[in-house]
Amino acid sequence: MLQFLIRRTFGAILTLFLISAVTFFMFFAIPQDPALLACGKNCTPDALAVIHQNLGLDKPVPVQFWNFLVGIFAGRDFAVGHCSAPCFGVSFSNQQNVWDTIVDRFPLTLSLSVGGLIVFLIVGLGAGLIAAKNKGTAIDKVFSSASLVLTSMQIYFLGPVVLGLFVYSTGWLDKPSWVPIGESVSGWFMGLLIPWLVMSVIFTANYTRMSRSTMIEQLQEEHVRAARAKGMSSRYVFFRYAWRGSLIPIVTILGMDLGALFGGAMVTEITFGLPGIGRLARDSVIDKDLPLTMGVMIVSAAFILLFNLIVDAMYAVIDPRVRLS
Amino acid sequence: MTTLTKTEDAPAPTDPDAFLSVRDLRVHFSTEDGLVKAVDGLSFDLERGQTLGIVGESGSGKSVTNLSILGLHNPQSSTITGEILLDGQDLTDASDKELEKLRGNKMAMIFQDALTALSPYYTVGRQIAEPYMKHTGASKKEARARAIEMLGKVGIPDPKNRVDDYPHQFSGGMRQRAMIAMSLVCNPELLIADEPTTALDVTVQAQILDLLKDLQQEFGSAIILITHDLGVVANVADDLLVMYAGRAVERGSVREVLKRPEHPYTWGLLGSMPRLASDVSEPLRPIPGSPPSLLNPPAGCAFNPRCDYVDLVGGGRCTSERPLLPAGRGSACHLEAERKQQVFIEKIQPRLG
Amino acid sequence: MSIFGTRRTRAAVIALAAGSLVLTACGGSNDSGSKDNSKTQEDAAKQSAAVTYGDAKASTGPAAEVPGAKPGGTISVLQEDDFSHLDPGQTYVSDGKILDRLIQRGLTQYQEDDEGKQTLVGDLATDSGKQTDGGKTWTFTLKDGLKDQNGSAITSADIRHTIERMYAPFITDGPTYIQQWLSGSGTTYRKALPDGPYKGKHLPDSVLATPDEKTVVFKFKEPQPDLPQALAMPGYSVVPEKTDTKEKYDTAPVATGPYKIAEFKPGKSLKLVKNTNWDPKTDSVRHQYVDGFNIGFNHSDDDQTKTLLADRGEAKNSIMFTGQVATNQVRNVVEDPEAMKRTIQGYAPYVWQLNFNLDRMTDKKVRDAITYALPSAQIYKLDGGAYGGETATGLMSPTTPGYDKTYDPFGKLKKPNGDVEKAKQLIKEAGAEGKKVVYAYANTPVRQQQSVVIADRLKAIGLEVVKKEIDQATWYEQVGKVDNGLDLYMTGWGQDWPSASTVFPPLYDGTQLQDGSSVYSHINDEKVNKEIARILKITDPAEAQKAWGALHRDIVERINPAAPIYYTKVFQIFGSNVGGLRYSADSSYVDVTRLYLKK
Repeated sequence: MLQFLIRRTFGAILTLFLISAVTFFMFFAIPQDPALLACGKNCTPDALAVIHQNLGLDKPVPVQFWNFLVGIFAGRDFAVGHCSAPCFGVSFSNQQNVWDTIVDRFPLTLSLSVGGLIVFLIVGLGAGLIAAKNKGTAIDKVFSSASLVLTSMQIYFLGPVVLGLFVYSTGWLDKPSWVPIGESVSGWFMGLLIPWLVMSVIFTANYTRMSRSTMIEQLQEEHVRAARAKGMSSRYVFFRYAWRGSLIPIVTILGMDLGALFGGAMVTEITFGLPGIGRLARDSVIDKDLPLTMGVMIVSAAFILLFNLIVDAMYAVIDPRVRLS
Repeated sequence: MTTLTKTEDAPAPTDPDAFLSVRDLRVHFSTEDGLVKAVDGLSFDLERGQTLGIVGESGSGKSVTNLSILGLHNPQSSTITGEILLDGQDLTDASDKELEKLRGNKMAMIFQDALTALSPYYTVGRQIAEPYMKHTGASKKEARARAIEMLGKVGIPDPKNRVDDYPHQFSGGMRQRAMIAMSLVCNPELLIADEPTTALDVTVQAQILDLLKDLQQEFGSAIILITHDLGVVANVADDLLVMYAGRAVERGSVREVLKRPEHPYTWGLLGSMPRLASDVSEPLRPIPGSPPSLLNPPAGCAFNPRCDYVDLVGGGRCTSERPLLPAGRGSACHLEAERKQQVFIEKIQPRLG
Repeated sequence: MSIFGTRRTRAAVIALAAGSLVLTACGGSNDSGSKDNSKTQEDAAKQSAAVTYGDAKASTGPAAEVPGAKPGGTISVLQEDDFSHLDPGQTYVSDGKILDRLIQRGLTQYQEDDEGKQTLVGDLATDSGKQTDGGKTWTFTLKDGLKDQNGSAITSADIRHTIERMYAPFITDGPTYIQQWLSGSGTTYRKALPDGPYKGKHLPDSVLATPDEKTVVFKFKEPQPDLPQALAMPGYSVVPEKTDTKEKYDTAPVATGPYKIAEFKPGKSLKLVKNTNWDPKTDSVRHQYVDGFNIGFNHSDDDQTKTLLADRGEAKNSIMFTGQVATNQVRNVVEDPEAMKRTIQGYAPYVWQLNFNLDRMTDKKVRDAITYALPSAQIYKLDGGAYGGETATGLMSPTTPGYDKTYDPFGKLKKPNGDVEKAKQLIKEAGAEGKKVVYAYANTPVRQQQSVVIADRLKAIGLEVVKKEIDQATWYEQVGKVDNGLDLYMTGWGQDWPSASTVFPPLYDGTQLQDGSSVYSHINDEKVNKEIARILKITDPAEAQKAWGALHRDIVERINPAAPIYYTKVFQIFGSNVGGLRYSADSSYVDVTRLYLKK
C-alpha cells in the first residue's frame, strides 16, 4: 500500500508538471498578446512595451516558465511585494496574489463539488437501488424515464428555472450565496442547497441508471443466490452481497467523472454567480491572465488527482482482490 | 391435437418414510416470449440417509427443481404449483421467513462453481459463520470457532489461518471444500448438491465425492445430487431420476437404471459416456439433435424428434400422446416392455461394452 | 485619450451593449419598442445642455438635503464583476467611477439638479478653478478642513503627487488627458517623469506649481478650457502622498470621500462604512445618509433584475451600480406599474455607428446609400429595445453639449427601419450594384444577431457582403489597425465628459491616424483636422459648443465617415426601500451620492 502511494504521488507530480508546462506554452502559442488587453483602444508600441515589462512578458518564454516554477517552491518578489512559496505569481489584471486568491475561492468550489457529489450519490444510487429492487414495476419505469429526462438537462438551463420557481417567484428557498462553513453552518447549507441540487441532477440520472443496471446484474450473481440459499434475509443479501458488488463499476465511473464534477461545479458557480474557482477560471481565460490561469489549472488538477487517489483507495476497501494482489 | 385427455403421470403413493416428497411439481416462468414450463409435473421421494441422483442435459429442469425446493425463485416471474413436503412441511406455500429459517439450516445447497458462489468481498470464515450465527444464534466468536472446525472437517489444512482468507486466495478444490463447509455448517438434513464436482479435476472430484459420502454417514443427511455425469452418480447415488424437458423420463435404483436402462434417452446418455472397458475404436455417440425448447415443446413425447425408435411404436403415438411415468421403477416411453428389453440387449448393450 | 483598462474591454461591452448580455426574449423588447413610455428626447435636452462652471458658493458644503431623506441602514449593491481597480489613478470605467463617487474626492466634481442640469463645482477646491493667460494657466485653491480617512490633512503637495504618479510606469489604465496637456501627446509625456514622483523628481514649477499648502497651479502650452471637467474624472481623484503604496494601493486605497473600505474580498465582496473624517461642510454634493454599502459581485444582469423585481427581504434595500434591467426582463418591469416607480432611465453617452473605411469605401454615394438603408430600429431592438437604444440621426450623442435633436440629414426618424428605395437608387447612380463589401463584427451574441440584420439589408440594396467575425477581446485592436482589410465595422464611442472635445478629436482627427488610434473610419480631411485644432483652443464653452455643432454637420453631410445607428440608453431598477433615486448624467447610472433608506 505504501509503495502504491509513493508511486502514485510521483505520478501525480509528473502529471502536474506536464499540465503546467503544456498550459504555459499553449498560452504563448495563442496569437494574442495579454498585454494588448491591458493596453486597450489607443495602444501605442511604447505603451505596450511598458505593460510587457510590468507583466514580466519581456523575458523569453522558457525563462518565464522557469521563474514560475522556482516561484512555486521558493517564492518570488513582485512590485506589489514578496510572494512567498507556494507562489503562483500575481494576477496580470488586478495584481492580486494568485495563491491567496485561490485559497480564498477554493472552499466554495470544494463545498460545491463534495456536496454535489454526496447529493447525487445518495439520490442517484438510492433511486437505482429502488428501481432495481422493483424491477419491471411502475416505480422502476417512473425512475427510469425520470432519469432519461434529467440526463438531457443542463445546469445553465435548470439553474435559472429552479431560481425562478423557488427563489424569485415563491421565495421558498434562499438565493444561492456563499457563507463559509466556519461562519454559519446553516447559512452555508442553505446558500448551497439549490446549487447542490441542480448540479447533482446531471449526474444523478447517470448514477441511477448505472446503479440500477449493475444492481440487477449483481442480483443474478451466483454468490447472491448462494447467500440466499444459506438462509440470509433478502435485505441482508441485497445490501451486503449485491450492493457491495455493484459499487465496483460505480466507483470506476466515479473516478472518471471527477473531472466532470469539478467542471460541473464551475458551471454551477457561473450559473448562480458564486465566487468560486470556476468563475476565476473563466475570467482568467477571458482576461488572458496567465498566472491566474496557471494557478487555477494546477490546483484543480491537483485536486482531481487527489480525488482519484481516494477513489483508487476506495477500490481497495471495497474489493479485497484489489487490496491483496 | 389428437392426444388423449389423460396426460398426467400416475400419482405415486406417498412414501411414508420419505423425508422429502415432491408431488406433481410445476415451475412455470412467464417471459416476454411466452410461458416457459421449466418443470412440468415432477414427483419423487427421498428418504433420510439416501442419495438421489438427478441426471439430464442442461435445461432439463434439474436445477430449477432444486432451486424451487429451496424457494429461491422470484415469485414475481414464476409460478410454482404442486407439493414439496420436507419432513411433512409443504414448502410451496411456506412464507419467506419460514423458508429463510430452513435454508442453510435444515436444507442446504452446494453450488457448482465455488468461485462464483462465494462472494469475493468477504472472508471464507465470515461466509461460513454467517448462517451459523443466523440459525443457531451463536456469537461471532463461537461462529468463528465453528467455521474453523468445519474447514478442518472438509480437509483444509491450517484452518485457523485460512479462515481469514478471501475466496480468491484458495485453490479451486479448496474453494469447493469451503463451500461444502458453508453448506454443512448447520448440519442440514437435506443437502442439494448441484454439479458439485464439475468444475474440478478428476482427483479432486473423487476426494470431494468421498467427502460428501463421509459427511452423509456422519450426519445421516439426505442428498440430492444433480449431475450430467453418470459416472459420479454410479459411485454415490442410491436412486436415480433421469429428466428430460422438465419431466422425469426414467426412475429406479442406480443399479437398475444403469444396468437395464429402459428409456431411449437414458440409452443415449449412456452411449455418449466414455467407459474404461470399451473398445477404443468404438466412437462415442452423442444424442443427435438438441434439447427441445421449453417454450414450445414437441407434441406427444418430448423426446420424439431425437428418438431412433419412433417407428417401433404404432399409430404415431410418439408424436401425439405423451407417455406416462409409472410409479416406482419405470420409464415414460410408449415402447412395450419387451421391445425395450430387446432393443437394449440387441443394440445398446453391445455398444456400451 | 483613453487607454482602456484590462477589464475595460469586458466592462465596455457591458456598458456599450446596454444590458445586452442576455438577449433571448425578443418578444419583450419588440412590444416595448412600439408603445413604450421610455423617456426620450426631452431628457436628452437636459443631459446635453452645456455644463456651467460653478462659483465658490456652489462649491461650499454641506449639500442641500434630499427631501424626505433619513439616516441609517446599509444598502446592498448587486454587481456583475469585481472592480478592475481601486487605485483612483487606474480607474476609468463606469463601475469604478461610481465607487469613486463614494470613497474618493478630486479637485472638482459635478453637481446635478432634478432636471439633470450639470454644474461643475469645486470638490477639494474652493471653486471650479480660475483661468488666466487665455486658459493656459489654471489655479485651484484647496478648502479648509480636508482630511483623508486617517485624519491627515490634504495639501497641495498631495494634489501634485496625484498628478505626478500618473506618469509612473505602473499606471497603465487611467486617463491621460492632463499628463498629455502638461507634458506631451501620445506616450511621450511619460519621458517627463519616467519614474513618477517616487525617486525624488518632480515636474518643474513651470508646469505644475504648488506655491503654498493650499494652492495648485497648472501651466499648459496651449489653452485647456476643459481642465476642470478633466479633473472631475475618477482617475484624477486625490492619492495623498503619505498613504501611497504604489502597486499595492490598488487593493487598499485610502478614502477621502464620505465612505471608506471596511473589508475587501477580491471577486466576492466590498464593504463600505462611513468615513468619519469626511466633513460634510466641505462637500456641496455628497451625502452620508446610509451607514454603509455592501457590494456583492457575481450577480448577472438577469439575476440583478429578477432579484430587484421580486423585491423580497434584503432585495428591498438593494441597488444596481452599473447593472441594467436584463433585455429579457424589460417587459416584466415595464408592465408592472409598482416596479416602474423604482426605475430610472437616461441616456448613456455612446453612439453606435457603422464605420466606413474611407481608404476602401471611396464613393460617398455608396456610403450615403448604406446610411439611408440601415434599419436602426431593428438593430437596437436586439440590444434592449426602446429601453436600451434609440435611433441615431447623427454622430453626436444626446448627452453631448451641442446635440441638436432636429438634426436628421438622412431622415432616420421618419424611416427608422431604413429607406431601401432611396438606397437602391443611390447605389444605381454610383454604379455599385454587386460591389463587394467586407463587413466585420464582434463575436458577442448581440453583435452576431445584429450582423444578420445588417448583412441582409446590405444585400437588399444590391451589395455583395462578405461577413467577417472577430473575437471581441481583440475587436478594437483589429479594427484599429490602419491596414485592417475591412470595409464596414460597428463601433461605439462615448464622451469622457460632457463635451464634444472628448468625441470628435479621437474619432475624426486624421492627424492622429495610426495603428491603435480610434480614427476608425480613417477620415483624414484637412478642413476637419484644422477645425478640430481650432475649436480645441476656444475657451468660451458656448462658442466651442456652437463650433462643434457646425463641424458635426460638416462631417456628416460632406464626408459621412460612419453611418449613425443608435444611441444607447440606461434602464435600472432598485429595491422599494431605497430613496433618493435619480439618474446621474455624470456617471450615466444612478446617482449614488444621495441615496437613503426609507425605513
